[in-house]
Amino acid sequence: MCILILCTLSSLAVTAQTKVTGKVIGSDDKQPVIGATVKIKGTNVGAVTDVNGNFTVNASTTDVLVISYIGYIAREVPVTGASLGTITLQINTSTLNEVVVTGYTAQRKKDITGAVAIVDVSAMKTVASGNTTSLLQGQASGVTVTNSGGPGETTSINIRGIGSIFSTAPLVIVDGVAGDLDNINVNDVESIQVLKDAGSASIYGVRGANGVVVVTTKKGKQGKAQITYDATYGTTRPLADGFKLGGTQTYMEAEFESQRNDGTIGGGPDGHPNQQFDPQGTGTWSIPDFISPAGKHTGDPGTTIADYTLNPLTGVGQQVTAANKVGTDWFHEVFKPAPIQQHNITASGGSDKSTYLMSLGYLNQQGTLLSTYEKRYSLRINTNFNVGDHVRVGENAYVYYKQNPKESGGNQNEGNVISYTYREPPIIPVYDIAGNYAGSRAPGLSNASNPVAIAQRNLKYNHNNDWVMTGNIYGEVDFLKHFNYRMTFGGQVDSYFYDSFGPTAYENAEGNTNANGYNEGAGYSNNYTWGNYLTYNQQFGKHSVKVLLGSEALTNTGRSVNGSRGNYQISIDPAYVTLNTGSPSGLQNGDSIYANTLESFFGRVEYAFNDKYLLSGNIRRDGSSYFAPGHQWGTFPSGSIGWRVSKEDFLKSVSWINDLKLRGGYGTLGSLSGVSLQPYNAYNLFNSTAGNSYYDINGTSTNPVLGIYGSQVGNISTTWETDKESNIGLDATLFNNKIDLSFDVYKKTVSGLLFQAQALAPAADKAAPYKNAGNLENTGFDFNITYHGNVNDFKYTLNLNLSHYKNLVSSLPVGVAYQDINSGGSTRLQNFVRLQPGEPVGEFFGYQDIGLYKDAADVTNSPGYSGAKPGLLKYKDINGDGKIDADDRTFIGNPNPKFTGGFNINASYKNFDLNAFFYGVYGNKVVNYVKYWLDFPQVFDGNVASNILTDSWHPGADNSNATIPVLTRSANLGNTAAFTSYYIENGSFLRMKTLQIGYSIPADQLKRFGIYKFRVFVLANNLFTITKYTGLDPELQNSTLNNNTNGDNTSFGIDFGNYPSAEKRYSLGVQVTF
Amino acid sequence: MKKLNLKLSVPLVLVVVISTLYACKKNFLSQTPLGVISPSTLANKAGVDGLLIGAYSLLDGVGGNGGGIDGAASNWLFGSVAAGDSYKGSQPSDGGADALPVGNYTYIAANPYINARYDILFAGVSRCNDVLATIPLAKDLGADDAKEDIAEARFLRGFYYLELRKQYGMLPWIDETTTDVNQPNNVEIWPKIEADLQAGIDGISETQAQKGRANKWVATAYLAKAYMFEHKFDAALALFHSLISTGVTARGQKFALNDVFQTNFSPQPGQKNSPESVFAAQTSVNDGASSNNGNKGDELGFPYASTSPGGCCGWNGPSQWLGNSYKTDANGLPFLDTFNTIGGDVSNGSRTNKYTGNLDPRIDITMGRPGIPYLDWGAPDATWIRDPTDGVFSPRKNVYSKAEKGTLSDATPGVWDAVQSVANNVNLMRYSDILLMAAEAEVESGTGSLATALDDVNQVRTRAGKPAGWVYLNSTYAPGSSTYAINATPADKYVVNTYPAGFFTDKATARKAIRFERKLELGMEGMRWYDLQRWDGASVSDPITNSDGSMAAEINAFFASDKAINSQLNEGHFTPGKNEYYAIPQSEIDKSKSTGKGVLVQNKGY
Repeated sequence: MCILILCTLSSLAVTAQTKVTGKVIGSDDKQPVIGATVKIKGTNVGAVTDVNGNFTVNASTTDVLVISYIGYIAREVPVTGASLGTITLQINTSTLNEVVVTGYTAQRKKDITGAVAIVDVSAMKTVASGNTTSLLQGQASGVTVTNSGGPGETTSINIRGIGSIFSTAPLVIVDGVAGDLDNINVNDVESIQVLKDAGSASIYGVRGANGVVVVTTKKGKQGKAQITYDATYGTTRPLADGFKLGGTQTYMEAEFESQRNDGTIGGGPDGHPNQQFDPQGTGTWSIPDFISPAGKHTGDPGTTIADYTLNPLTGVGQQVTAANKVGTDWFHEVFKPAPIQQHNITASGGSDKSTYLMSLGYLNQQGTLLSTYEKRYSLRINTNFNVGDHVRVGENAYVYYKQNPKESGGNQNEGNVISYTYREPPIIPVYDIAGNYAGSRAPGLSNASNPVAIAQRNLKYNHNNDWVMTGNIYGEVDFLKHFNYRMTFGGQVDSYFYDSFGPTAYENAEGNTNANGYNEGAGYSNNYTWGNYLTYNQQFGKHSVKVLLGSEALTNTGRSVNGSRGNYQISIDPAYVTLNTGSPSGLQNGDSIYANTLESFFGRVEYAFNDKYLLSGNIRRDGSSYFAPGHQWGTFPSGSIGWRVSKEDFLKSVSWINDLKLRGGYGTLGSLSGVSLQPYNAYNLFNSTAGNSYYDINGTSTNPVLGIYGSQVGNISTTWETDKESNIGLDATLFNNKIDLSFDVYKKTVSGLLFQAQALAPAADKAAPYKNAGNLENTGFDFNITYHGNVNDFKYTLNLNLSHYKNLVSSLPVGVAYQDINSGGSTRLQNFVRLQPGEPVGEFFGYQDIGLYKDAADVTNSPGYSGAKPGLLKYKDINGDGKIDADDRTFIGNPNPKFTGGFNINASYKNFDLNAFFYGVYGNKVVNYVKYWLDFPQVFDGNVASNILTDSWHPGADNSNATIPVLTRSANLGNTAAFTSYYIENGSFLRMKTLQIGYSIPADQLKRFGIYKFRVFVLANNLFTITKYTGLDPELQNSTLNNNTNGDNTSFGIDFGNYPSAEKRYSLGVQVTF
Repeated sequence: MKKLNLKLSVPLVLVVVISTLYACKKNFLSQTPLGVISPSTLANKAGVDGLLIGAYSLLDGVGGNGGGIDGAASNWLFGSVAAGDSYKGSQPSDGGADALPVGNYTYIAANPYINARYDILFAGVSRCNDVLATIPLAKDLGADDAKEDIAEARFLRGFYYLELRKQYGMLPWIDETTTDVNQPNNVEIWPKIEADLQAGIDGISETQAQKGRANKWVATAYLAKAYMFEHKFDAALALFHSLISTGVTARGQKFALNDVFQTNFSPQPGQKNSPESVFAAQTSVNDGASSNNGNKGDELGFPYASTSPGGCCGWNGPSQWLGNSYKTDANGLPFLDTFNTIGGDVSNGSRTNKYTGNLDPRIDITMGRPGIPYLDWGAPDATWIRDPTDGVFSPRKNVYSKAEKGTLSDATPGVWDAVQSVANNVNLMRYSDILLMAAEAEVESGTGSLATALDDVNQVRTRAGKPAGWVYLNSTYAPGSSTYAINATPADKYVVNTYPAGFFTDKATARKAIRFERKLELGMEGMRWYDLQRWDGASVSDPITNSDGSMAAEINAFFASDKAINSQLNEGHFTPGKNEYYAIPQSEIDKSKSTGKGVLVQNKGY
């Protein structure tokens, strides 16, 4: 201690000081370097260069100045006089000295021993999107991102495979506080690091199992105030061809053929004839002039406007609707070109006493799908105050207001706008003869809904509003020279309000007289983290030691209420419709409430010897309120080592190796997984809800009596899922810093997987507890290589990152042979995703089709099933018992990709710059569920595939090229009654995500306008996608249906008509710095 | 300066560290469950009362685990469709992978319908067990109340188990003392069911303040029904005699047939729980439950037109086979053997020749027919039928009148199926069911009388013949009385008469007439399949030793006949020796194995 105090005192020794000035420029563009740090070596005393690159510092002639700036090699300059003149900093093509934030501490990149991906934020920004998470796609190896085209739609991320059967969303830390990446203003982002392995992420304990994304936002820098304006304006273009659908003629012929093949054509007016195409049962079909009344022609009774009696408010009455004889292009009725714009103004600056940054953002992204958009208004204020030399206080605050109506019904749902574009028959026009919506209320034309009506009503009547404040305040103090203590209090307050009105959808086959209804709701969710961190950092000769001790207490709470009324009769104007103005009959309300806590203690030690041998260890102890006392706490240690081989003498002579580091780490992480869906998992609980336990025992028909039911069985011994992760990697900088590469191989084993117990029926009325059982395993590698090159003034950087993972369910709860998963919500083909040991998570399970039965002889000679006949699907007899039944189902497709990767090209020539970015996925299978609707007319008689007549099996014809089963009315194993490999397609694709060309006006021409930088650019996104997939887009969001709404991650790669993310977008942009 | 900082910072750090430790006190991680009830809160009379209502609340097949359309209280799929009363309906692929295979007997044991019914009934058992387990803990519960509550809970458990037993055969017995629910199904549970129902008879009061509660007589009726399944006809007959002579409803009204058949199918509180309603699942709408307390199990079984009730979804349409059963001869008696072929098809459903003869008027209460007034909705036309494979008839016993729309059908906004969720009770047992079972018992029991059997059947036919209950053309329908204004033109040639005295010359004749009467009277009420099973002898024990093949014969005859109308039936085939019971859900077999024991045994043939 005495020594420490002496050391402290010694730094107080005062020597004669004078003002020293200088100017710092960069070697690359010879422009002033603004904000470069100028420090007297061995002290914290220093200054920062101003907007002209100038600095002034009090120093003595014995001092040495250390001048550093990110991207340049730090330079030491002895103080030789009062003016040091112009000092040129050499650009550093190696990023090894880059300091990156890796959790609770910052490290030089060359000291990192864990698997950390550093995201190129500027490359990421070239993709225009309101959802910042989506921008991570293809930018970091080991990170698999699946986007949706819808504005503000959620993005799914897996870091290193499927780490859980529930949510695989990584923890996002923004400026040290758990946050949300989706809604960050991308212009505010300074850096993003992805912590992928236990060595790096286990400091986050139970929240780090799916990896951690560490985001640091921009801070003000010392120097003159600087104002930056960024803007882009663009247009998104709908897919040119959409679903490949038949027109009215094709639709009618397919319907006709399906009936003729079953022998149910004709039969006269009493023989169930088709009401539209052959109302008299003559056996000859034709397109009518009117579909409502059904099958009528011009001049027939009931077809004039005088016969129109529909009351759109109640749905009562008769519609008159003319047929669209060519066919309505429903896809392009709802998908239209849509603008996107972003504006951002950032002001920043500061002095040695304080820094500030203020950023104002506006985003307005209109979806090509009518009625979808995201508008976000955001404000960020980051400030920092230095109180004396050793105490700093400050805050990071981010506030935004968002309006984000999404696709009505949710993406990936057979009942949403997109799905209805292929389900609504083409003969139906958008509007009837009175200008009201037309639809399947016209008899015999499916049960689909008019997608234009849904979208327009959604736009008019549905609103949501979200006010979010997130950030933290902090204070820190340096003491005893090597110690720092920091306390933060931060979190997020999310307050939201939504309302929606559903008018009577009079035009549809079903529910056309349902009551209209209004619904509104509001709520909030809060989370607070209180953190205390103590760090110690000291160099002893060649030894460098860093220690962190910390504690955190996290509280999550939330409440919401909602209410609805219906039967609005006077008016349905949004200005009139409120809860009070609706009928009390059918009144409903509901609420939700939650509260949970997490408490943590952790420590980290980093040790380096001579920058050569690196050692780091973490330990974290987490306690959660989700578990019962005695099982609340988990301890998660990890360790990693690094060896900078290039520092060894035997490699010093190898000139092409600039830097080479080997890394290895092992550690454990935890996860709440599914228990987060059942917060009181430990308890036996009862409940009382009107729908589940009330009963009208008095026979009143309207007034049930309160009843109670057991709602949950608890399990007190449930505890954390445990992830064991090992990682071996290397980082290298080669060939005169021209090549950077890193390679990691890993194995990630999740044990004690939290499964909801599968209770036998007598115990299944109550929600079963989650219990620890079963294991998952992910193995894989991440590869990243960057090449920096230049030919005179032409400079370029090429970057390729590749990710591979292999996922395996290694065991399920004892005795459970398999678990069938709801398959993205499909109940029509039964469950077709099966979780089984030895197979990957998400694999599709069903019959393996081997073409169509050629003829009667083929049926006789092949293993068959009840109803097998020529033209139906023929299946592989997996168990070889000579017949096809449920035992012949097998695993028929793995939706996990073999590789995902991104390829970035950055180039500049003089004042021009270019960025191109490609993203690819290889080796995954997807389910084109849309074929279930398009290839089989008997499936609700919706629209059909455009090739259905040419490519289907026809009785008595040459069927050698037939791929679509015979058209029929029957539903059996050979067509629509089972899930088969018929729906499975190759999901590989390569997409050019970005092509951007920019031009910067030379600085000397700008100076007189007070402008420091002026850049304009043109940007094209998604210019092309190369794929064999026959649907809209093989990039598939998880379905929002059924159990997927709970964050279930076990079924994916299923296309119900996904909002495509392949849409082309063209933008213009400008960046100005004053 | 530096010294000052040092002096300041060390104590500052200490203060903060200490306050941190203090704040992180132990109870930071203990969170009270929010918005739920803990078991200790329920250990009193109010808790027991609530749990008992919760046990009743699953009678409607909605709420809890399973149930809904797939596991409906009405047994529309298992009891009606699978027995030829009706078709699955809708478009072929709608339910083509799950409901249709049940109707056609091509289903696998993992079928979701098979699951859902099993689950909801065991959920009912589980709720009864919770009542029974809580009663001893309820300190403020008086002895009389406890006795009543125990008896009601045991009756309900007996009821749920009876439903299970007739559908799935051998089952594990789970009661309030069972700790591990993975129990074997190798012991016949009929004695346990009898004991529970007997406990109901012994302990439940004769009358109740609440119409929907079971009483002593309801328990008696179900014990009698259980005996019928067990072929214990002597015991059943004794109970039927007392039910007929002295049985009363929960509100103390003597059991009796309503004059108007339609009254049994009304959603009106004034008509529900009539003297004919022995036991029913009570339903309610517009009650804040998002339509979940209405008759959701039958919600797909409505005609498809916007001018019809419901407007969706065209499921469970009555079959031509059932429609043809209502033909009557000149004497107003049914064609017991030739009903399906004589004189063509009723309403010309198979496009051959149209039947123009006499009809039992119950046909037009049981099903909607083209051209025949359908309550106050007008006459069904082609638009009411969703798909050409659905035949020509619409379901009718579960619907409401136009005048009742929005008040006795649900009007909750934002619920897609609101207009198909109705306040019609699900009839679990009507008095006519008792009369017809009593008639059977008279025939089968050694102590019965064929003359009494004839009288029982004729009571049912007499009511059918009362013109007040018929459908008339050009007449107004009054939902408050479930009647059409009587006028000169009945909707069709209604001729129905009682069997003449002495008609039941022998047991075989009587048997055939009584069984056919059940089809006519209880058609579309989810009974037929279980009746066929009872008559086949399969219900008595398992394995299916007593089967005489009659169930297979009748159902396969239905398939053979109605395939011509409905191609969805093409693969329908009833396999004798297997299909007399439904499969035990595959997931139950799997879960039973998952604990290592694997004590649950699948039914024969699955």
